[in-house]
This record gives sequence, C-alpha cells and structure tokens, in this order.
Amino acid sequence: MENRIGVYICHCGTNIAGKVDVEKVREYASHLKNVVIARTYMFMCSEPGQEMIIKDIKEYGLNRIVVAACTETLHGHTFREAAKKGGLNPYLVQMVSIREFDSWVTENKEEATEKAKSLIRAGVYRVNYHRPVETTTYPVNSNVLIVGAGIAGITAALVLADAGKHVYLVERQGFIGGNMAKFDKTFPTLDCASCILTPKMSAVKNNPNITLYTYSDVEKIDGFVGNFDVTINRRPRYVREDLCIGCLSCIENCVYKEPKFISEFDEGIGKRKPVYVSFPQAIPLVPVIDPETCIQFRTGKCVQTCLKGCPTKAIDFSMKEEKVNVKVGAIIAATGFKVFDASRDSKYGYGKLPNVFTTIQMERMLNSAGPTGGEIRLQDGSVPKEVAIINCVGSRNENFNAYCSRVCCMIGLKHAHMIKDRIGADVTIFYTDIRANGKGYEEFYRKIMLEGVNFVRGEVASIIPSENNRLTIIFEDTLLSRVRKKEVDMVILNVGLEPHDDWEDVRKVLNLTCTKEGWLMEKHPKLAPVTSLSDGRFIAGAAQFPKDIPDTVAQAEAAAAEAMSLVDRGVVESEPNVISIDENKCSGCKMCISVCPFNAITYNEEKNIAEVNIGLCKGCGACNAVCPSGAISQNNYTDDELFAEIMGVLRE
Amino acid sequence: MINSREILESFEGRMREFIDGENFKKCIQCGICGGSCPFGFYTDFTPRKIITATRAEIVNEVIESNAPWLCTSCNLCTSRCPSKIPITDALIPVLRELAMNYSHPPDELGQALTNIHRMGNSFGESNKKRTKWSEGIGFPVKVLKKGEHVEYLFIVDDFGSFDLRGQEITKAIAKLFRILGIDFGILGEKEKSIGDHVRLAGEFGLFEEIAKSNINELKNYSFEKIITMDPHAFNSLKNEYPKFNFSKDVIHYTQLIDERLNDIKKILHPLNYTVTYHDPCYLGRKNGIYDAPRRIIESIPGIKFVEMYRNRENSFCCGGGGGGIWYDSYIKKYVKVRPAEERVLEASKTGANVLLVTCPIDAIMFEDAIKVTGLEGKLKVMDISELLLESIGKGV
Amino acid sequence: MNDNFEPKIVAIFCYWCTTQAAELAGTSRMTYAPNVKIVKTMCTGRVDPQFILWAFRNGADGVIVSGCHPPSDCHYEDGNFKWFRKYVLLSKTLEQAGIDPKRLRQEWISASEADKLKKVITEFTEEIRALGPLKHPIREGGD
Repeated sequence: MENRIGVYICHCGTNIAGKVDVEKVREYASHLKNVVIARTYMFMCSEPGQEMIIKDIKEYGLNRIVVAACTETLHGHTFREAAKKGGLNPYLVQMVSIREFDSWVTENKEEATEKAKSLIRAGVYRVNYHRPVETTTYPVNSNVLIVGAGIAGITAALVLADAGKHVYLVERQGFIGGNMAKFDKTFPTLDCASCILTPKMSAVKNNPNITLYTYSDVEKIDGFVGNFDVTINRRPRYVREDLCIGCLSCIENCVYKEPKFISEFDEGIGKRKPVYVSFPQAIPLVPVIDPETCIQFRTGKCVQTCLKGCPTKAIDFSMKEEKVNVKVGAIIAATGFKVFDASRDSKYGYGKLPNVFTTIQMERMLNSAGPTGGEIRLQDGSVPKEVAIINCVGSRNENFNAYCSRVCCMIGLKHAHMIKDRIGADVTIFYTDIRANGKGYEEFYRKIMLEGVNFVRGEVASIIPSENNRLTIIFEDTLLSRVRKKEVDMVILNVGLEPHDDWEDVRKVLNLTCTKEGWLMEKHPKLAPVTSLSDGRFIAGAAQFPKDIPDTVAQAEAAAAEAMSLVDRGVVESEPNVISIDENKCSGCKMCISVCPFNAITYNEEKNIAEVNIGLCKGCGACNAVCPSGAISQNNYTDDELFAEIMGVLRE
Repeated sequence: MINSREILESFEGRMREFIDGENFKKCIQCGICGGSCPFGFYTDFTPRKIITATRAEIVNEVIESNAPWLCTSCNLCTSRCPSKIPITDALIPVLRELAMNYSHPPDELGQALTNIHRMGNSFGESNKKRTKWSEGIGFPVKVLKKGEHVEYLFIVDDFGSFDLRGQEITKAIAKLFRILGIDFGILGEKEKSIGDHVRLAGEFGLFEEIAKSNINELKNYSFEKIITMDPHAFNSLKNEYPKFNFSKDVIHYTQLIDERLNDIKKILHPLNYTVTYHDPCYLGRKNGIYDAPRRIIESIPGIKFVEMYRNRENSFCCGGGGGGIWYDSYIKKYVKVRPAEERVLEASKTGANVLLVTCPIDAIMFEDAIKVTGLEGKLKVMDISELLLESIGKGV
Repeated sequence: MNDNFEPKIVAIFCYWCTTQAAELAGTSRMTYAPNVKIVKTMCTGRVDPQFILWAFRNGADGVIVSGCHPPSDCHYEDGNFKWFRKYVLLSKTLEQAGIDPKRLRQEWISASEADKLKKVITEFTEEIRALGPLKHPIREGGD
C-alpha cells in the first residue's frame, strides 16, 4: 500500500513567498513520489489553512502530511491537532521549516527556492517512514513550586494560592521580600516600599495555601511536567520556627553588645550580630544564627545568653539540615538579581575612597529602619553638602555589561529628590541619557528638574581624593564640550543589575536555559516572555532581565496564570519521542541500559532482554544510537526516518 | 580649501582597516574619553568630540586644530571606552595621518620622523653611537654577529641609546644582567628604531617599512628571546610585529628580574627610601604588567613603598608618549600644567622621596618636571634597575 | 577544482540547543550560505555514525554535528558526551577510509549563540569549497 502524502506550503504573507517561489516549489513537490496533492496557502496556521488539511485528508484519502512553513517549535502542535481533527494520528505529520531555516536566512531568491525544494523533498521522503504514535495523558499535580520570594515570587504565590492551588514558596535568604525589602521609596509615586510590600508578605505568611520555606534551597528536581518531584534542603537557622514568638530578645541578649559583622542585607554599610533578622518587620520573624560568626559555633564555649533569655527556649544549636520532598505540577523561577560590584570599575574608587556609595547602599541609608535610621551621613558622621550621582555604572559598557539596566535612571532621579528633600544638599546627576519611559516617569523627571537638581550630560571619568576628605570628580561636560572638575562630599554610583553570582548552578538545578550573561531565557521574546524552554517551568521578574516593580508584578501574575493554566488543564501528554524495544531482535547485551541517563531501561532476567519503562523515558535516543542489533527504535526519530531525511536534503 | 567630504570618507575608510575600527560608529557620546585624557582640559576636540565632528562632517576642522597633537597615546581613554573604540591605536593615528596630508603637524614631529627614516633613529645621530653607553661599563658587552648565539637579545631602542639619562638606565640594566649571569647581546649599530611612536603618529607606511626591515635584520641572528627596557619597543615587538609574521618571545627586563628574584634577594642590602612607583602606560595599562615591578620593589629591604592613588590601570601618563616627548614646545603653547608636572606633584604628596620608573621616557619627562615644579632635592627619579644596583652595593 | 562547485553540507543539530540557535538566527534575519541543510534530532546522543557515512554516500561534501555545550547544558544529561566519544572514533575511521576528517565538523552551539552558528556555517562552507567535492568510492556510482 503506497502512502498518500499531502504537501502544504505556506506563504506566511511575504515572509516566505517574498523570497521563495512557492508556486515553483509546489509544482516540484507535486511530482515527488507518493505526493497526491500539493498546495500553497497564505497562512497555513490560520483556521482556513488548517481546514484545508482536514478537508484534504478526507477528500484525498491522505495518510501523511508535510507542512512547509515556520518551525515545529512554533506550530508543530497546530498541525498535529489539525491532522487529528482530520482523523489521522498526529505524528503522521512532518513540519519543514522553510522560513527560519530558509527564506529568512538566504539572500538569493533562486538559492532560497532550490533550498526549499530540497528541504521539502527531505520531509516527504521522511514522512513515508512515520508510524502512528500513541501518547497517553498523565494527571497533573495541582501544586506549584515557586523559587524565590521577592516581589515576583510573592505576587505569583498569592495569585495561585487565592485560586486554590497549593504553593511551595522557597527562599534561600532567611527572610522574604528580596531586594524590594531593602528599598526606601519606589518611583515614581514615592510610595514607601515596605508599606506596599509588608501586607503582601503578611498575606503570604497567613495564607493556608502557601507553605513557606525560608533559608532553604531547591536541591533537586526530578520528574517531568505535571509531575515534578522536588527535594528542598532546609538549612538550619538554629532557632525553632515552631517555638519562636518573634520577641527578638535573643538579639538583644547576645554576648556581642554591639553589632560587629557586616550585614549583607544592609549591603555592607551596616552591621549585625551573629543572631539577626534582616529588619524588624521581617517575615518570618524568626532570627537566624550565622555559624561563621557565632561564638558558640566557632569555639563551642559560649554562655548562650540568647538561649537563656528566650522565653520559649526556641534556640537549638543542634539543628541540622532537613530535606523535604514535595510534588508539584509546575515551577516558577523568580530568583531576582544582584547589583553590579562597583569595585570592578576602578576609576570610581569604590571600596578605596571614603563616601563613595552605591544606590542600593543609599536605599539602606534612606530607609528609616536601616543602619543610619534614615539619616544621610558621610562616614565621619557629618551631613554632605554636595552630592554627585553617577549613572550607568557597569551598564551600557562593553567592558562590563553591554545592556542597559532599565531602572537606574529612575533610581537616580528618586535619590536626587530624596536627598534634596531630607538634607537640602546640592545634587548633580551625571548621565549619558535619561531613560524615563514608564507611566508617569517623564513627568517625574521634569518634577525633579524643577526641584533644582543639577544635570550634567557626561559620564564621570575619574574620582580622586582631594583635601578635607572630599572627592574631586573629573568629567567631560559633553553639552558644553568642556572637561571640568567638581568637588563633592559624597558620590553615589548608580550601579546596574546583574544575575546572581551562582546563576550557573541554580539554572542547572532548575533545568532552565540562560542567556550568556545569566538571565533566564524565555521561549519567545515577544510572545512567550514568561514561559521557559523547559516544559512546566515558568520565569518571572528581574531574573529574566532588569525591570521595574510594575513590570515585575505583571510578569509574576502572568507566570501564575500560565502555571494555573497548566495545572487546571488537569492532564499532560506523555513524551511522544520514547523508544520501543523489539524483543525478537534484542540480544540482551545491555548496552542500552548502560547509556540511559534516566534508568528507564531494565533487564528482564527471565527473557534475557532489555525492557523500557516509557514513563521514565525522556526521548533522547541515545540507546537507539548504540543498539547493535537494531532492536531499539525511537518514535519519530527512527533510523529509517533519519536516513530518508538525510538522503532527501542531498538528492532525489 | 580642504574638501570636508573627502576627508570624512578617507577617515571612515581608514578606520575600517583596523580590527573593530568601525566601533567608532557605536559612540554613545558619554565623554569618559575626554574626562580621562591628560590633555582633556586643553584639547580643541576630545575623542568624543572628534566623533561628533565626523557625524557633522567637519573632520577638516579637527585636523586643523590642536586635537591630533594633544594626545600622549596613554590608552586611558581606550581602556575605559564602553563601546571599545580603538582610540589610541586607530582613531588618533588615522587623524594624524590625515593632518599630515592635509594640514601641518608640529615641526619637531616631522623632524623626528625624517630622522628615523634616514638615520634609523629619532635623534638624527649615527647609529654607530648606539654602543656608546657600554663604554667604561667595566665589562665587555657582546655585539651580536651573524652565526653567534645568545640567550637574550637586548633591544635598547632610541631613548636608552642616545639620551644621556636613558644611557644611565641602560648601563644599570646591563650591570644587573651581568650580576645575574644573564647571557645577552645587543645589535649595536645594526639596531634601528622599533617604531612604536611612528605607528602612533599615524605614519603607517613608514612603520610597516621599519617593522619589516627590522624583522628581516633579526633573521640574521640567533637568540632565544628578546628583552627590552623600553615599554614602547616592548609593545610593538610583542603586539604589532607579529602582524608581519614575527614570532619571537619578547619580555620586559622587569619580567626577567622578577623570575630571578630569589637570586637577587640574597645580595640586596637595606636602603632607606620612601618610594612610589609610576606604572608606565605601555607596560601596565597596555600590556597588563603591574605585579612584577612591585614584587621587585617589595623585595628590597628597608624600603617603604607607598602607592599613588592613580596607579595600575589608572596610572596618569608622563606625557611623553605618542610623540609628546618630541614636540614638547608645541604642547607648552596649549597646556598650562603639563602631565609630568601634575604627576610628580602627585608622587611627592605620597610622602615618597623616590619616584620609581621602568621606562626611559618617564625618567626624562619626570626629571624635567621636577625642576619646573621646584621639587628638586625633595623627589628623585630612579629606574628600578638603578635602585636595585644601589641596594646591591658600592663598587658595582 | 571546479569553479562552479557548490558544496553540499548536511547539519545534524540537537533540538534543544543548536536548532534553537538556528531558529533564533532565522528570527534575527542573519543570512548564511544555503549550502547547509539542517536535519534535527532531539539530542546529539541519538546521532549514529552511520548517519554521517550515509550523508557522504548520498552526496554530502561536508557534515556538521552540533549540540549543547558540555559539561552540563545537555537536556538529557550527557547525550553530548556520548556523541563526542563517537565523533573522536569516527574522525579516525574517516581518515583511515580515505575521507578527509576535516569534512566532519563538530561544534557546541547553545540556544542563544545564533551568531556563532552563522559563523560556523559560513566558515565551514568555505572550507569545504576549498577542499572540493568529495571523491570517494563510498559515493554510489564511484563519483
């Protein structure tokens, strides 16, 4: 029985037809062996395009379909569904990309047309060897794992929890809130960051549908979309969360009378004791004891005044790591960002000169719950009279990060306003461009200008120490075309945003693709910004790329919606590209077992053959490549299919 | 009347010939180059403004201004440019080439280039005088002949050979080599300018001619490595000559001393100086060698070493590079406080009484500046080799 | 060497990394020589040396195989390593059989490296053009 193949060539408007002579290609395809009908259409993925396939299957008795259009990634599913509606097994369809792989990448029209012919011929030869593939559906677990409890993670968690889904929210710091909890005010409304964040943090704590694991990491994710098996490692706080009442007397009573150690939350300008909370309204309000600085851990001999003064005896130095195992159907990665380390750009003297701060340090200084109680002070305690804010530190710079970090211009304007407001200092912003492109942002910029903040268009080239502990900045005033010097008391470096230092390790655990800088990669930059390239995993917030709070919240809600859509579907299709083992051909050599990374193949001692558990098979095909007996075939990637395709691209 | 379109097209065409030369189109006009430049306050056109001029098609105004000549090729702008525009190696030399064709360069530059072309050195003296520094040094300095083999070919280049102060440094280095038992030889009268300043001055054709001629000459001698005392010579031999199929190893003398530090330490005596170190632009910023000289300094007992604030990659140029040492009088017309003067004042503020250098041009520029700024007697300039010799002891 | 020689090159790319890079190259409208035709597998671990020999037999003058960067980009853990071991042996085999091993190029190109993909395709096409058409008894009809 000969196959009956239908070939469909999409114009895709002028995207394909503008380069490839689709009529010539159609004519060519129609003469290929087993091709019964060949058509072109303006937009194959449209309703009428799909209808065409469905109708032809019935009318021409087609049993194989080739669609030459965009890519399988974009529309493979669409045409498989169309075939299904026409009564064909969806895997009897082969998509050939003549857009991304041909018309969009070939300059010459003749060459593009010839290439399209070769690619389609290959598709036709291949599809002859397609066999119907049956998939099953698996139920989807309705729980969701969210990694990262900054504003993005918190928002997504609340949306999902309110919809009745159970959320496991994992945060590696001891306290939730991420970077936003460090801020003082947010632009352009100058809302207090804590005031808008703390109600959400409270809601997270009180929502029965959210299980919050702080001071914890995701260690391992097994399983597949809809059925993830997650191992969470809870690091020991040495304070029992179930007993602690949040009175913070342990901190009060610690043998260190004064805070002595650099506080990470205060970004290096504040100190903490070995037992600490990041700020007094932290959630959970359960302190963490840092074993690197706590005397009990360092020497084994401390009078433990913390424990002695604890009303509920919640302090427990013997706490150990605890592994927790949870099952979820979807995962959202909302791991946030860190700021550029300004000491990498030595011309600013950060870390060497006094009174050179970063914007995130300034946020802590401005914050009334911060290390200076909201007072803006130089290192010697005096009030600065002249402040310079330098934009684009570490950003828009091919020596560090070529990209623009999007939020810094607004942060600079905000700080200029706050500083002028609180201490009346003279503030100058040194900029290359002012990017104020959000709602209300340009108006905010003008407001700040009216307040008397100075603006100089020119990046600062050097900062050198001058008399009286002051700082001299040297810059070219590009609008005036003059190189000038200015003496100031304080410099604020408007640092850009970067992925966390350990992004490579985190992405491996979460199985996410990243860009070369370390930003989480979305499936499609325009149309799928919160979906990752791995099934069942979504991304949200600054971890995907720097963005402000409104955009972060929007993405978090979008990711929650996508996750909800997945779990509410209730079922996921099993992996179609699994292998099968022909027991008559299997010689029992066990080569396949030795190469399977997922332990999906086992040895049947009685029959002396290998057997596959298709629930575990992920469809890589490595066993197919090593089987010496030809007993293994991978669905949709059998030797016959691949040989046919390779021959097809080369010759008739 | 210069055709501004023609000049602009020449400029763009020339830039395209350099690797990443087209990056100037990516200039975001941030002004870091101008702000970094030792001549930023005085030049008519900072590199940023030069690029603005290309966008306004008025390059002819740039080449008629002082801008092409107020550049010491120190690389500070280039090392900081966020668009990675090759300002020092491409933009300025191309501009200078245009200025030499369509406008007029300072007379002294023309003279120096002519000297190099005709006499094989910028001083206009006979190359036979290249061995003068070795007279009375106390031991024979080998002048390589064809067929002889030596481990290190010691390239002195022009300033170390012909300038009196430079010769003192060359002597000190040679004595150190002798003490360490290093097998070295010089080319003597066969040596010609390596040409780094020619390249930076925009005379690309002359530079290629010099490089090829030198490479050809070097084929006649047998040696393992080249060792230099001049960071500019070091730079050209290491980074530019390979473009003409030159593949010998090149090191700066401080790298060799650093390798042999354990041997030297045994024979050093304490010295009572407070020293500071000026990173030469072409050893430090351009070629990344910051630590070897520092390890040498720190190995000398009794020395107190204080760093200037603007050190390492932020080192502030002596003003002698890129031809600056030749047309000092041109520069004085526009510049109130010359870079070397600013730098010696900065050195003196650290409390140091010795300013250490590892480039003969630095030594020459700083000693002149010390006189002008009244620091004579308070600050003295020494090459690291001279400091080492002093620490090794009298009678050397 | 025939001046009109247009090399025929088959590229076998894994779906997760290099095919994505090729799609990105397309979306970014990067142009490259049409001589390279892409055949995808889910993982380079699936690639059987027979595919490459089959390609040469059927008219390929060059073959590129590309997948995810080792050590840990492979979607299926270590399929890329499995392929690489085969590549090393295959390269030797080709040489012994009289096929210039330069005609088989092995690359690691990740999903965001569209520019590297374009570079590799462009370079390899020119290399094969310079090497000329494959003349070997493996070709049917002894081409």
